[in-house]
Amino acid sequence: MLSIVVLYSFAYLLLLSGSLFLFILARRLLVESQERKDLRVFLEMERELLEVLTAPSPSRAAVEFARKHGSRIRVLKRLLVAYREALAGQALEPLKVIFERTIRARCLRDLRSRWLATRLQNVRLFVDFSRPEEAVHLVKLLQDKPIVRLAALNALTGIASRDTLAVIFELFERDPAPNFYAYSNVLNSLGQRIEPFLRASLRKPLPADKHALLIEMAGRLLLRGLYPDIVRFAASPDKELRIRAARTLGRLLVPGSTRVLSGLAADPAWEVQAQAIRSLGNLQDWRTIPLLVKALFSPTWHVRYNAGYGLAAFGIVGVLQLQEISRQKEDRFAADMAAMVLDSLILTGGAA
Amino acid sequence: MTDLLRLLDTGVEYLILAYFLLLNTFYFLFNILSLAGILRYRRMITFVRFGEIFRMPIVKPVSVIVPAFNEGPGIVQSIRSLLSLRYPVFEVVVVNDGSTDSTLAQLVEAFDLRPSKAVFRRSIPTLPIRGIYRSAVQPKLVVIDKVNGKKADAMNAGLNISRYPLFCAVDGDSILEKDALLKVVRPFLEDPERTIGAGGIIRLSNGCVVREGQVTAVGIPKNWIARFQILEYLRAFLGGRLGMSMMRSTLIVSGAFGIFRKDVAMACGGYRAASITEDMDLVIRMQKHMHEQKRPYRIQYIPDPICWTEAPEDLRVLARQRSRWHRGLIQTLVRFRRMLFNPRYGAAGLFAMPFYAVFEMAGPYIECLGYLLFLSHLVLGQVNYPFAVTFFFVAVFYGTFVSLLAILLEELSAHRYPKVKDILTLTAAGILENLFYRQYLSVVRAWSLVDYLKGKNEWGAMEKRGFAKAGQTP
Repeated sequence: MLSIVVLYSFAYLLLLSGSLFLFILARRLLVESQERKDLRVFLEMERELLEVLTAPSPSRAAVEFARKHGSRIRVLKRLLVAYREALAGQALEPLKVIFERTIRARCLRDLRSRWLATRLQNVRLFVDFSRPEEAVHLVKLLQDKPIVRLAALNALTGIASRDTLAVIFELFERDPAPNFYAYSNVLNSLGQRIEPFLRASLRKPLPADKHALLIEMAGRLLLRGLYPDIVRFAASPDKELRIRAARTLGRLLVPGSTRVLSGLAADPAWEVQAQAIRSLGNLQDWRTIPLLVKALFSPTWHVRYNAGYGLAAFGIVGVLQLQEISRQKEDRFAADMAAMVLDSLILTGGAA
Repeated sequence: MTDLLRLLDTGVEYLILAYFLLLNTFYFLFNILSLAGILRYRRMITFVRFGEIFRMPIVKPVSVIVPAFNEGPGIVQSIRSLLSLRYPVFEVVVVNDGSTDSTLAQLVEAFDLRPSKAVFRRSIPTLPIRGIYRSAVQPKLVVIDKVNGKKADAMNAGLNISRYPLFCAVDGDSILEKDALLKVVRPFLEDPERTIGAGGIIRLSNGCVVREGQVTAVGIPKNWIARFQILEYLRAFLGGRLGMSMMRSTLIVSGAFGIFRKDVAMACGGYRAASITEDMDLVIRMQKHMHEQKRPYRIQYIPDPICWTEAPEDLRVLARQRSRWHRGLIQTLVRFRRMLFNPRYGAAGLFAMPFYAVFEMAGPYIECLGYLLFLSHLVLGQVNYPFAVTFFFVAVFYGTFVSLLAILLEELSAHRYPKVKDILTLTAAGILENLFYRQYLSVVRAWSLVDYLKGKNEWGAMEKRGFAKAGQTP
């Protein structure tokens, strides 16, 4: 009985392995031949596309191009995506015309596909060639799975109108499990036009982690108009929010923030102290030099580190302070840190 | 008595058969899962421009940590390849772990290294550091010179000095492809809260041409031992680890190329200096830590970031390497035995650990038991030759089938072997490895238990040839 099972297994495996081997070889040959053919078509289409882009009436030439090559979708997609990278502004118009006349209908249909990968692929294609009035198709995808939602959000930033901005912020406020990195990237790409929405969100009672991101964005986009809202968070009972407020104040560089930051430099949490010291260094207010010198003697490494680089930012005055501290013998840790900062100023200025 | 022996003999035969069937079924299942994963991944990254990551201001910077012990012949090439990686913000921290060759001298000369007075937090205890160097020509490069304390200790020294929230462990004899970091970091962008680790694919550079720190032509080496290993790596990474990662059962992210969240690694105390396979040990401890903190996490394998490394072409060196891997596996599984079949640790405790214990750790012993049984039957004249021969061919073709699946996965993912001849050679290797190589490695791995029980903890020197010499026209 066992011998028969083994014999059949042998025959079956032999057949299976042989078929798989032939499949791999046949697939390889087919793929190679397809790639050769696609390359030939690609080069031919590329030549014609360049003629379209340099034609006296690019839009009309694009219509003609779309009519001629509308059936070669696979290569056409590759060509459009490749040229999307190289072109910008008005030069993109012929590509959009070609997209609308050839791929758009299929792309819109595939945005509703039941397969996640297909939806994702088409969002990304749609991103490159859609127009602001078509944002509605992407807004629908904001309820999709996280990865599609992320792609749709990214797409919306490319064609952001006032309405889409409102949608993005509303989604962020309601999102039960937001991907903060994704939102951060999206908000960053939107730039300073988000200020009114950011202000409104900062004033709403949101979870601390969402407020933390909004505070961070205010600093990253240098939205100085939000200074009064940010200062409010410096007194927050949440340590993370105080850290973010300290960091943002160090970016906004509003002169009045010295007093707030000096207060945060005496915070019970060393993380807040470290951030406040770093921001004070950015502010370069000469009155804070004694505070930075004192921080260089802190028992916390991070506070010492930030104080060292904060002093270095003052230029020759800070360097002289560092030299003095590096020579003193009472606190070896402060001396070592001062020596390291001086050393890095001389050598490379830090990695990356 | 004779009947009892016969019964026992038959029982062992069936046990070996069942084991063989189960093992190959699991491998087959992993390959199918990998196939599905690779096809999905291919579709998911269509129209993705990895360059976009450069425009993302919030991409986490990465510290690439490279422990180096007597890597003289290839270290400069490796570091050049790392410094030319495409990634927005990163640093390369090379830890010269008390090399007795010219590793440090070559680095000093090639990168104009100068002593630095850098102050760092000694968050994880390590053996003394003799000096820290910065390069006057490469601001991203930091070199640490320390007393020899093995790879884990070197990694910990690198962790102490590294500045960024993600760290990538790369072996000193490895070469990363230019886009490897951009690709392997994607899980950290898509799911930054839960992702604690990600691994790429390790490929063998034997037979490839390496120029200016990059693999410029991929080929199959002439040496059959290296050929067998190419296939093994394809099966292990594209079939096994990718498939297990899809089942959320990753226990190993290779120390040659893996990226981790530094805060989680630090919270676990970094690498364990006494561990033989420190990479596996760290990944299990990170998972254990996350389970105990009741924090969701994931560790992912990505099929297209590639790291090239040199494989031994000599049986003696290969045996030392495999013996060390197996001793490390035993040590790690014994150390974390409480996780075995423990539902508290999720898929890692209920599936991954038992799988590694039953099939990876016990595998060589059961295989050797089969060979011994066959030999004893041969001596006693009790061999059923038609059955034995057919069974041997079943084993060969089952193995070949799994190897062919791995070749198919390679074709679908990175597709790095350009010639049809390469596929034929790899298929031939898939058949021929069953004739001596597989049995030899089983014996080596089984014997490693003796070394483990003796408390042998040494690595065994791996002879480095350097990429320049490895590069032969394929």
